[in-house]
Amino acid sequence: MNLDSKIPSGPLAEKWTNYKASQKLVNPANKRKLDIIVVGTGLAGASAAASLGAMGFHVDIFCIQDSPRRAHSIAAQGGINAAKNYQNDGDSVERLFRDTIKGGDYRAREANVYRLAEVSGAIIDQCVAQGVPFARDYGGLLDNRSFGGAQVSRTFYAKGQTGQQLLLGAYGALSREIARGTVKLHTRCEMMDLVVVEGRARGIIVRNLVTGDLERYAAHAVVLATGGYGNLYYLSTNAMNSNGSAAWVCHRKGAAFANPCYVQIHPTCIPVHGDYQSKLTLMSESLRNDGRIWVPKKKEDAEAIRAGKLKANDIPEENRDYYLERRYPAFGNLVPRDVASRAAKERCDAGYGVGTGYAVYLDFADAIQRLGKEAVEQRYGNLFQMYQKITDENPYETPMMIYPAIHYTMGGLWVDYELQTTIPGLFAAGEANFSDHGANRLGASALMQGLADGYFVLPYTMQNYLADQIYVGKISATTPEFDAAEEAVRVRLNRLLQIGAQATLNSHLSTLNSVDHFHKALGKIMWEYCGMARNTESLNKAKALVKDLEEEFWKSVFIPGTANEFNPELEKACRLEDYFELAQLVIDDAMHREESCGGHFRTEHQTQDGETLRDDEHFMYVAAWEYQGHGQPETMEKEPLVYEHIKISNRNYK
Amino acid sequence: MNFTLHIWRQECAHAKGHFETYQIDNISPDCSFLEMLDILNDQLITRSTLNSQLSTTLNSQLSTLNSPITHPVCFDNDCREGICGMCGLYINGRPHGNDDGITTCQLHMRKFHDGDDIWIEPWRAKPFPVIRDLVVDRSALDKIIQAGGYISTTTGGVPDANTIPIPKQDADMAMDAASCIGCGACVAACKNASAMLFVGAKVSHLALLPQGKVEAAERAKKMVCKMDELGFGSCTNTYACEAECPKLIKRQNISRLNRQWIEALFGRDGK
Amino acid sequence: MNLPKIHSISKKILVGALGAFLSFFLLFHASANLLILRPDGGEWYNAFCHFMGTYVIVKILEIGLFGALLLHAVLAIWLAITNKMARPKGYHKPQRSKTHAGSKLQVWTGILIFVCLIMHFTDFYFVKIGWVKGKYMVQTEELMKVKATQPEAVSYAEQKGELSAKGTWLANFDKEDKVALEAAGLEVEPDFYHQAREKFKILHIVISYLVFFVVVWFHLRHGFAAIFQTFGLYNYKYGKAIEVLGQIYTWVVCLMFTAVVLLVYFGL
Repeated sequence: MNLDSKIPSGPLAEKWTNYKASQKLVNPANKRKLDIIVVGTGLAGASAAASLGAMGFHVDIFCIQDSPRRAHSIAAQGGINAAKNYQNDGDSVERLFRDTIKGGDYRAREANVYRLAEVSGAIIDQCVAQGVPFARDYGGLLDNRSFGGAQVSRTFYAKGQTGQQLLLGAYGALSREIARGTVKLHTRCEMMDLVVVEGRARGIIVRNLVTGDLERYAAHAVVLATGGYGNLYYLSTNAMNSNGSAAWVCHRKGAAFANPCYVQIHPTCIPVHGDYQSKLTLMSESLRNDGRIWVPKKKEDAEAIRAGKLKANDIPEENRDYYLERRYPAFGNLVPRDVASRAAKERCDAGYGVGTGYAVYLDFADAIQRLGKEAVEQRYGNLFQMYQKITDENPYETPMMIYPAIHYTMGGLWVDYELQTTIPGLFAAGEANFSDHGANRLGASALMQGLADGYFVLPYTMQNYLADQIYVGKISATTPEFDAAEEAVRVRLNRLLQIGAQATLNSHLSTLNSVDHFHKALGKIMWEYCGMARNTESLNKAKALVKDLEEEFWKSVFIPGTANEFNPELEKACRLEDYFELAQLVIDDAMHREESCGGHFRTEHQTQDGETLRDDEHFMYVAAWEYQGHGQPETMEKEPLVYEHIKISNRNYK
Repeated sequence: MNFTLHIWRQECAHAKGHFETYQIDNISPDCSFLEMLDILNDQLITRSTLNSQLSTTLNSQLSTLNSPITHPVCFDNDCREGICGMCGLYINGRPHGNDDGITTCQLHMRKFHDGDDIWIEPWRAKPFPVIRDLVVDRSALDKIIQAGGYISTTTGGVPDANTIPIPKQDADMAMDAASCIGCGACVAACKNASAMLFVGAKVSHLALLPQGKVEAAERAKKMVCKMDELGFGSCTNTYACEAECPKLIKRQNISRLNRQWIEALFGRDGK
Repeated sequence: MNLPKIHSISKKILVGALGAFLSFFLLFHASANLLILRPDGGEWYNAFCHFMGTYVIVKILEIGLFGALLLHAVLAIWLAITNKMARPKGYHKPQRSKTHAGSKLQVWTGILIFVCLIMHFTDFYFVKIGWVKGKYMVQTEELMKVKATQPEAVSYAEQKGELSAKGTWLANFDKEDKVALEAAGLEVEPDFYHQAREKFKILHIVISYLVFFVVVWFHLRHGFAAIFQTFGLYNYKYGKAIEVLGQIYTWVVCLMFTAVVLLVYFGL
């Protein structure tokens, strides 16, 4: 495995400029002859396809939903960061770079992050030109808000629907290219395999989700922009169809997977309310500015609340445990995401949880008393409304209930400075790659990264690769490699469909279960033993449980229908099959990283007040894993992280 | 809570569909509508395994294992927080069910009464053919956008974001129009299966911004022509679209579309 | 402006424009009707009818009015048919969305209006063309001109007819009288004043006209506001005002029609 990060030489601030000045380009006449496949239509995929199409390349773009606009980028609420310094509060590329590196707990690559900060301003320009209706002040200029992990206001937003508006902007640009004929759109198509010819990514096999047909597409390069794998945990803030399978099949074909254990947990989500629950809804983190978090001091009170005998308002002030204010008097309810999340889990595990036992109160009674109901309504009205719609409880009268949930995965396919994976010709962008966020992502940075990759990085770096490819000629989709890949997919699908049939023959039917049953079980294991806080013991347990569950899955999952029809159960089964392997890798990675950093918290490695304790001496590297076959432990290679520009310190927000 | 569900089942686009009745019990009022369907599907899968057990012991035929009746109910869904626009069911005579300003995934069972009969149908419109059961093909909406629902920019080469100030009021109105999630409820609700609110929202969003004004009339023309061509009906000012829009997009946007259309007819570029 | 075909919105705009023209005509018609209420033996009203029946420009406008009515109806029905085609398979459950009821009824109230118009024409308009019989009148001035040559006819007329307040018209003739007067070479015109006063004394006619006005009320109520929407004039600022204006207009027109019929019936 070749982990050459290809970081250009020279001073940090000049690396990207130098790269662009010296990279290889493709001339316009040749662009038409080059085919590119883009998988995924979120911010990264849509913007990459639109930009590449506009440049003249021939692009095929694929998504699993019925329209490119459904991609889960659409659900991002808060905003997008950019070092515009419109507020004159001392923001700069350098500062955004530093904030992002620090936010990532010094586990991200300097050059990538600097480039991200550098192009951030252009993203805003681009989006405004596309008609993204960012919030404006009364003078008609762009408004900014502040966000976690920064001392400046650099977040641009469009109501609470920034992701939606940015995606619709990219979708518009994509639609234009589709109309011009440079991009061809394939909806309701799921990538089933990557085709590697002579060591290069040369195409993909997709399953048409409507007809069930397997189709082949060949190209000179493949871009993967398929998002993260947060749904590994079943309950997450991700969409139901978000999955890690496209990245995983590439991993199987040789692309290294980096830092899989870095998952981000968001502290303020609406808690689970029953076994039937399918997903978790995020509430903006801004609620913690005025809300106070507490659980009952006495276990019997908590039990009474859970049994429905007591209400939150029945608990007198002296019997409430404002645990964040108690444990972190300096920061109180405003401790960083990971700290708040872990503290909630600790209280609930100890038996003080309310609701179903996995929830804590977020109380606005004080704020309402202090500011008046109107002021609170002004600040959080729409959030309160959303909460009431979902839970049927009035947060003005009874405290809200919240609980942490999986939100984002920093880990992903290993990529170099050009966003190329370890398979030449296979590029990864957005959440699907690991590159920019280190061990923890700051709020409003995911949108920035997705668009930076798609609009401003890939259109340059891919040319550097494609410049050589003009000599190859059209890639054929009828080669033995394509035949083999398609056949392998067919075998795989049949194997899954046969499980139920086999079980029927062996007549142990009473144990047959649906795909969701196993997914829920897997999610529970991962959340419990490889979630917010991990240790050797819990990880070992997780590993054993996942293994058992996987065996059980192969014995007794029942998938109705056939492979030749619209069959959502079969889609889910394929994704779950990949999650089983991915889960093992996440556990292995978490196990090997004997330190705590960002989203990865090992209880063995913490400071006295429960903060993460990094081990820079031994673990300042990117862990890139290589697939070794099903059931085989993967091998890991290290890409050392070299900090030339920034001074490493403790991630301290006090 | 217990419910009797009447669900439209249709194996594929060309099959003849019918309503199938299911009884579902012990549903929590906090359960969302789609989660209720999840539970139903889980029961259908488990029940079908039992059915097949019977049939295999009788004649060891595997083919009955996959009989279409036992196939779970197919329905589109994704984000389940009301923003992706993927879900859309016609429930008891209303798109997205009996509540205002929500998508199907935001509908909770507490909005129903215990013992209710619930009729679930797919969106019905000529340009939305059924794919399976409750899943319809809404790519017609994409085609309308592709006809011109964008500002023609290419990456790079754009002015600084603050070069053109935009009155806050215009920006806010554009934002309201832009919050369309493309779910198609307006088409489903409209007695004419018209997509005027969808088109109007996009045309308004872009026409309100100086960046989009340049192509505004031309855009309106192209999008409406496409809408007609795809077989959507026309607007007869019933405003069911406005009543059912999960994002509460106003009919003023249709009015603005009409204005743009007139401009396209009589304006400078009106050929 | 040479579009290859009429697009949906253009059709709508045409229907709306024609509708606007027709609703202005209604206001005009309703205001003119108020003259019937003058107890002047038809002096003013019949003078108005005379003007409308003889002036060339009005005659041309009349053709335009019928053309507009027909085109309005044809386009609307055409739209309704294409709209039905946009949903080949309907819903099992009837729609329960909150909507403007008027719009769903618009085609049906339109068709009803057509039916009522046939009744209305039988009562009045066809008299003018001579398809049905009604009340007639002659100008006293005309009568005087022929007094010397046709004294019997004139005295017959003076005996049978009713003189209007200022004596301009000799009116309230029947069909037989019309034949006799025309035989004497007099120019006989329909007498809508007495025609109306006679018809609106008959209960079933009054009731059918009241039904007619209710239908018109429904049609106008939706139509008026819809015109603004279709012309792109309905916006955040004036939207509500336009709706109120539409309501007022509709009520005024319909109440004016109703008032005339009811006041005549009750002989006030």
